[in-house]
Amino acid sequence: MYRLREDYGTTLAYSLAVAAALYVVWKITQSPEQALQFTFNGLAVGAVYALIAIGFTLVYSTVWFFDLYYGAAAALGAYGVFYLRSFDTLGGRYEVNEPILNAVFALVTAGVAAWAMHEAFGARLRQRGTSRITIRAIDGVVGTAAGIYMWFVLTFPVLMTALLSPAVGVIVAVVVCWLLYRAYRYVLFDASAVPVVILGAVIGCAIGAYIGRLIFQTDGAGLYLSWAVSCLLAGIVGLALYRGLYAYMRERARSPLVMLVASLGILLAMTAFTTIIFQSAPRPLPDAFGSEPWVIAGANLKGFNIFTVGVSIVGFIALLFALKWTTFGKAVRAIGDDEEVSKVVGINTTVVIAIVFFVGAVYAALGGILSGHDTAIQPRMGLLLLLKGWIASVVGGIGNLYGALLGGFVLGMIEQFGIWDLAGEWKDAISFVLLILFLSFWPNGILPRR
Amino acid sequence: MRIILKPIVNSLNFIRTPRDLWRAWRGNIQLWANLFVIGWAVVFMLWQGAGFAVTVGTVFAIWAMLAVSLNLVVGFTGLLSVGHIGFFGIGAYSMAVLSSNPEYEQLRTEALTTFAWPFFAALPVCVLLSGVVALAVGVVFNRFRDDIYVLVSFGFAIIAFNVFLNARSLTRGAFGIHEIARPQIGGWTLNGELQFLLFVLAILAVVMLIAWIIVTSSFGRVLTAIREDEDAIEVFGYQATQYKLAIWVISAMIAGLAGGLFASWTSFIDPFSFILLESILLVSIVILGGLATIWGSLLGAMAFVLLEEGMRFLPFLPAEYIGQARQVVLGILLVLLMLFRPQGLVGKYKL
Repeated sequence: MYRLREDYGTTLAYSLAVAAALYVVWKITQSPEQALQFTFNGLAVGAVYALIAIGFTLVYSTVWFFDLYYGAAAALGAYGVFYLRSFDTLGGRYEVNEPILNAVFALVTAGVAAWAMHEAFGARLRQRGTSRITIRAIDGVVGTAAGIYMWFVLTFPVLMTALLSPAVGVIVAVVVCWLLYRAYRYVLFDASAVPVVILGAVIGCAIGAYIGRLIFQTDGAGLYLSWAVSCLLAGIVGLALYRGLYAYMRERARSPLVMLVASLGILLAMTAFTTIIFQSAPRPLPDAFGSEPWVIAGANLKGFNIFTVGVSIVGFIALLFALKWTTFGKAVRAIGDDEEVSKVVGINTTVVIAIVFFVGAVYAALGGILSGHDTAIQPRMGLLLLLKGWIASVVGGIGNLYGALLGGFVLGMIEQFGIWDLAGEWKDAISFVLLILFLSFWPNGILPRR
Repeated sequence: MRIILKPIVNSLNFIRTPRDLWRAWRGNIQLWANLFVIGWAVVFMLWQGAGFAVTVGTVFAIWAMLAVSLNLVVGFTGLLSVGHIGFFGIGAYSMAVLSSNPEYEQLRTEALTTFAWPFFAALPVCVLLSGVVALAVGVVFNRFRDDIYVLVSFGFAIIAFNVFLNARSLTRGAFGIHEIARPQIGGWTLNGELQFLLFVLAILAVVMLIAWIIVTSSFGRVLTAIREDEDAIEVFGYQATQYKLAIWVISAMIAGLAGGLFASWTSFIDPFSFILLESILLVSIVILGGLATIWGSLLGAMAFVLLEEGMRFLPFLPAEYIGQARQVVLGILLVLLMLFRPQGLVGKYKL
């Protein structure tokens, strides 16, 4: 009996899929230009969904609870860009540059920087016998410097390229130096590293200075810097939430619903807070490059849409590479399979999960920013984007990275072709009906997790 | 009531000094929560006068009805549903379409069929329609659990909102429906706010009685068992699916009743009263008040309504931000509750 029911469900699912395909083919024969237009739109929308679904899948398949903060992260990223570039949007019509807000954000940045400094280096300094007061002083100095820097960036957003290009230069220099050092250690693991470190510092500083100068001289660089700042902000908030809240809850909670409700509270509070600062009406983001549409075979295609698709595919490949080929990825997969055992074999689960949360929030923020440039931003965009990302990962197969990418594009396409005959307002309903159909008949998705 | 009376009766058994009393009571969060909310309500009423309290009371009664109905599902059966506002909306819209007065000129321009039924003819239809929709939805939802259930119920709320907003021939879309009938008892219309408040409170009492009967009956005990361990209760020969479906439909019917009353009270509804956010607020009311207690839902709804009205008098908060500020407070409260008191203020079940 059960067997029969299962077969019935599978048959129904396949016949639905075939019917959908036939419908699409019929529509394409009816008017190819419009079909091409809908395909382009579907790809652009689907890329955003895919990006969010990838980050979401990474987190969900590691900790196995549903974190609604990712919705807030998407909105946070988009509004971060809006705040930093509001002087540039429609000639500064919605300019928000509140001295009080700037001071608050600077204080928060100072606190977070001091905390991060303490988390990263405090224990090591203690081991070397540095006194507690000295460590506190170092934390304080780093935090104050970061806070003052942030305050400058926020108060003089026009000068953002000038203010942030040195920071990018420094980061590049440090990364180059570290990479050279690691490579050297990998080849000769017990020789003296001092000359290589000096050489690395020189090369790194040179490359950093060059890139900083390049950024300073490029015209549109401020926008991309503000993207980076927003993504970093969303990521750090995610990290702080994990270390401050979820890590504590996961030890004592009976069911994953506790974390879900707590993150619901966070989403509620952050959305309302965003509404208080920026009003609930939709706001535009400044024009990105390539907003002028090209006409290809009667259909409009924006260069920015191609860029969105590119970002999502590059993000996918980067994450896939990190998960498949690095020790970190191995640790993430191990924690996803069994957290207790991975603790036993010596994986520092707290740190690995914290990094996972950071990366996931960065992906969500990137998705929010890209979708904001495509349409407009509003405070409650986050929850809907998150739910769409989740539907995409269900369609593709929960916990499968390839599935998340595929599901994002499939969802985008189905949404766009679904509103061909219906009005555009129905697209949310379409995607949730799709979710319920998939969960009922095809709960493992297109590409099930092994 | 027992929560309040029990410590008092206990303390009367032998004479105690105030210090002893303080020691006996200080750890009793339930008592303090009750005293705080009720005291706040009394102070508020004395301060603002009866006229304002009547409005607040009606809002409270409708939210309390919704919270009790949701608590039957979330607290007693353990299905965390975030889509309950959909049933509220179905009830409200069926009341609106059935009892709205077609003479109203704005309705004539938009060619919407309304029936001008009396209130008491339309109210059972609200309840039944919510129940029928819940039956169909529940059959589909029954196979999901835990976080999947939460997300699917998000989906239900969004689909319901989309239908209210976009099915213009049925609901008139974003323009809303005007002139919804007030209840009429034998030629006497309940037009006054106070009369309506008394009417709603009477219905709230009936709803609480129904909920109390459900909870204390053997049916309610099976529900509690499903919450604790669904597989175990199936071993004992109970069809957990049918029980879950039954409580889901009953709960939706109560929500539909609340929706009908709400539509009649405001006499104008539009889809934006039934957005997903309201549903999230409803869940936070239930969790704040306490899972698996009927009294807790009343307390949560009271605290929720008073929070908004109380914030109106904060000196530095502009009036247009009150709703948002309340959401911020509720969100932070949810996080704190999940950290320190996962069963809510007077709850009996830890999530």
